Amino acid sequence: MTNDDNDIVKVDFAFKRLLAQTVEGDLANFCYQCGACVGDCPAATYSDDFNPREIMLKVLYGLEDELLGEDSVIWECTNCYACHERCPQQVKPVEIIISLKNMLAARGRIPDVVAKVTKTFEETGRTVPYSPAIDKQRAKFGLPPLSPVPVEEIQALLEPAEGEVT
Amino acid sequence: MKRFAFFPGCLIPARHPGMEFAIRVTLPRLGIELVDLEGASCCPDPIYFKSKDKLSWLAIAARNLSLAEDLGVDVVTNCSGCTATLSETWHLLHEDPELKDKVNRRLAKIGRTYKGTSRIRHIATVARDEAGYDTIKASVTRPLEGLKVAIHYGCHLLKPSRIMNVDNPDDPQVLENLVRAIGAEPVRHRNWYLCCGKACQVEDIPNNMMHDLLGAVHDESADILGMICPTCFGQFDHGQMKIAKLFEEDYHTPPVYYFQLLALAQGIPYDQLGFDKQRFKPTVLQRYDEAAVVAEA
Repeated sequence: MTNDDNDIVKVDFAFKRLLAQTVEGDLANFCYQCGACVGDCPAATYSDDFNPREIMLKVLYGLEDELLGEDSVIWECTNCYACHERCPQQVKPVEIIISLKNMLAARGRIPDVVAKVTKTFEETGRTVPYSPAIDKQRAKFGLPPLSPVPVEEIQALLEPAEGEVT
Repeated sequence: MKRFAFFPGCLIPARHPGMEFAIRVTLPRLGIELVDLEGASCCPDPIYFKSKDKLSWLAIAARNLSLAEDLGVDVVTNCSGCTATLSETWHLLHEDPELKDKVNRRLAKIGRTYKGTSRIRHIATVARDEAGYDTIKASVTRPLEGLKVAIHYGCHLLKPSRIMNVDNPDDPQVLENLVRAIGAEPVRHRNWYLCCGKACQVEDIPNNMMHDLLGAVHDESADILGMICPTCFGQFDHGQMKIAKLFEEDYHTPPVYYFQLLALAQGIPYDQLGFDKQRFKPTVLQRYDEAAVVAEA
């Protein structure tokens, strides 16, 4: 057995510290690579590229380029929470994947569909934009018009509070 | 009457008013009173907005919960996504006081405080726990006998179970029992545990998954696919057209939201429940109207 430095994966601690600052991102270190997250994962069942245990291994190493680069698979996750259910360490792999998505979004990289839905929400406080046709349909069922959303309150909550540490 | 703040979310009030109508008609008949939550926003959604900015997601969810706290009641949700967002927020902020402080510093900007005094219940569990199967059964004026309902739980009603606290995610009973209570026959098909695939941003995974799921439902000769989430509903209604075309198969399995079925069983006519808006219309349900007419004659 040789001891060639080229074969050794170097842990990127700086990236891991950044991930740990996201909400629940600090749980990643408890992963012991048992693979319980794989069996029930629909994305792993239906895709050759997606494997939550491999994602967690890359997280443990801090392989930023593979996790967040052009070939990132994190948006293949179906958000089903089966891995959260199965994980004996309560790592919540789905939440780590969401932390990674948050990191991508902070860099302005977000799938088009997601950008569209979140923009609608940020501008209107709703995921489905209001239109008079909606109230017309509701009236047919004897339902009152949609109750207004105080958008300025929602928008205030999108911004950090003074002195907020991220 | 047990009172709850009604959190309708975005999809049901805007896209599926027939579902909201059914909820508002059926719940009082089960002894459950709904109080409207003025000023509520999107929960926000647990698949897109949470993935963009989880801290803002928590703050806005906490704002929604604080509206119910003002009324001193628990929250009832009618969408699995809203249930996931609000329940997860409650649990995270309960377990992590620092995070709760952080969220409250944001809420202070709009003069609100989140306390954590209102709990969150999905409407299916409210029907099960507050009314009970016997009360539901007693509210039925025309049991949906002979109707085979394939069950689709979706993901966020059950998982993660330590947060959702609804049922055993490996062997859930709640939807089967709710379907039995209205006289129909629940069917657990071989792919019952699969996800609707809405959150996934590559096409092949949800397409193949839905193809397998619909095939399993078809093999059971189920009349309809019963569910309790409007996001899953959209996947199986509009989405089923895409799958049928892609795989050149016609399963023609209409998805139906459970509380519309309950309304029908409580005697609300088919035509008043908004089924005509569906891509796949559950016309099989019309026979219960016809049977009622025959019985009256």
